[in-house]
Amino acid sequence: MNPLSLRNVTKTYKTQGKPLITAVNDVSFTIEPGSIHGLLGPNGAGKSTLISMISGMQAPTSGSITLFDVDMVRNPEQAKGFLGVVPQEVVVEMAFTVQEVLYYFSGMYGVPKAQRQGRIDHALEDLQLSDKKDEKAKTLSGGMKRRLMIAKAMIHQPKFLILDEPTAGVDVALRQRIWDIVRRLHAEGTTILFTTHYLEEAEQLCDTITLMNHGAVIKEGKLKDIQKEFSQNSIHFELYDQNVPHPEGVHRTGSEFEFPMRSLAEDMEMLTKHYNSNLKAIRSEAASLESIFLTLTA
Amino acid sequence: MNNGMWALYAREVKRFQKIWIDTIFNPIVSVGLYLAVFGVVTGGRDVATVPYLAFVYIGLLSMNLINASISNPAFALIISKNLGTIIDLQLAPIAPWRVGLAYALAALTRGIVTLGVAVLCTIWFIPLAGIAHPFLLIITILITGLEFGMLGVAFGMWAKGFEALTFLTTFILQPMIFLAGVFYPISALPHPWNIVSQFNPLHHNVNLIRYAATGFADGNPYTSIIVVGVLLFCVAIIMQVVVQKKLRSE
Repeated sequence: MNPLSLRNVTKTYKTQGKPLITAVNDVSFTIEPGSIHGLLGPNGAGKSTLISMISGMQAPTSGSITLFDVDMVRNPEQAKGFLGVVPQEVVVEMAFTVQEVLYYFSGMYGVPKAQRQGRIDHALEDLQLSDKKDEKAKTLSGGMKRRLMIAKAMIHQPKFLILDEPTAGVDVALRQRIWDIVRRLHAEGTTILFTTHYLEEAEQLCDTITLMNHGAVIKEGKLKDIQKEFSQNSIHFELYDQNVPHPEGVHRTGSEFEFPMRSLAEDMEMLTKHYNSNLKAIRSEAASLESIFLTLTA
Repeated sequence: MNNGMWALYAREVKRFQKIWIDTIFNPIVSVGLYLAVFGVVTGGRDVATVPYLAFVYIGLLSMNLINASISNPAFALIISKNLGTIIDLQLAPIAPWRVGLAYALAALTRGIVTLGVAVLCTIWFIPLAGIAHPFLLIITILITGLEFGMLGVAFGMWAKGFEALTFLTTFILQPMIFLAGVFYPISALPHPWNIVSQFNPLHHNVNLIRYAATGFADGNPYTSIIVVGVLLFCVAIIMQVVVQKKLRSE
């Protein structure tokens, strides 16, 4: 039973006097239980539209979306019960305190009254908001509001958590805190769908990714497999004396020289034979997600 | 029983409790002022067998109930849309009709609380002999509050901003309330306006509440029962369609 399964999901919009817009085009992928899945793509790739369909805020024009085998179109209330969503935009209630926001929101997800206070205390402690619990949510700083949004998404202990750019515009300390929470929830068995513009973040956290562009999936699978498939690892080295002739294929990048890796043994032999004692440092570099992203979305 | 719906209801009740001076006491001040003016100007006059002050008193209470019920969800939802917190309703595992019902029940609660406080503050000055049909009065108040609560939900979901709400209250609701027989019996109007007024749906809510409270009906009460019942059904359908459409865009 997969936490999320998308089959040929398409979303089109009709706008008066303009041609039909296809925001999401025939998207299919599955997320395995207990994984952290990254949904990546440039602006306008269709990620937000897809997230809003998975969250049940919009209905797909065609195709099916199932969460734990429950169809989001046919049975949205049951499907939404599995979900916790941290939306991209930070929005908070004006009238209520931090504690009240969580109290009523958890109630809306069916958390019994007797359990609410304990969960609120735990979530506030987890997100370092305990001292703000009696303050109006509108008076919190931007980072605190973001943390409150995460607390709201976690309060009913969902089996599947969607984080739509949760670290956009937050400072380094909070980003680390959010990463820690994501890792802990993952370790506890929560399945996580994550969108981000920071590719190093996806690289650090995600087991599997889906790359989207122009509304369609352009690559999907395990991050390691994609890295292996799409990029040539390279050898980087530094020299004491840089004014020496170089073998074919070697080019300079800043203070370093690099060339595509063929076989580590052969490459090392070539380096020591050609440069010998002139070699200052050697390292190999794996393909970055950023380079794959740029290659695929170019 | 859906816990989510009742949590949403409790949240909306808490919301109007937080601004109780505005939501509860403002309307009571206006009832007091109306009564003071009408008490001085029309002292001693009767409408059929009912003292005019009692006649207009029930009309004013009905007007308060309708205003409170419609404005509570309409304001809350328009603010929610402006702030972006409407997303909480879109994400919650609560069926759209339950979302609408939670808001409408909170509106009814506010209407009843406002009505109760207004009665407690003013009943001592009103020459009412007693309640003619207490059970009918309770039912009519509940139905009227729920009906206009649901209308407020539908309007709040549909309206894009506060301009639309101002338009509704100033140019549609207030004229309809004033022409619904709140301050005068519509039978006293010249022909054809007495007939036209019977097509004002609000007249039937006011008429029914007044009939249940005083025993005086400004038109056939059975017609009003049918009209109010049909309206309740129609408004419930409209609310369901609008909430469904707005919370889950196609």
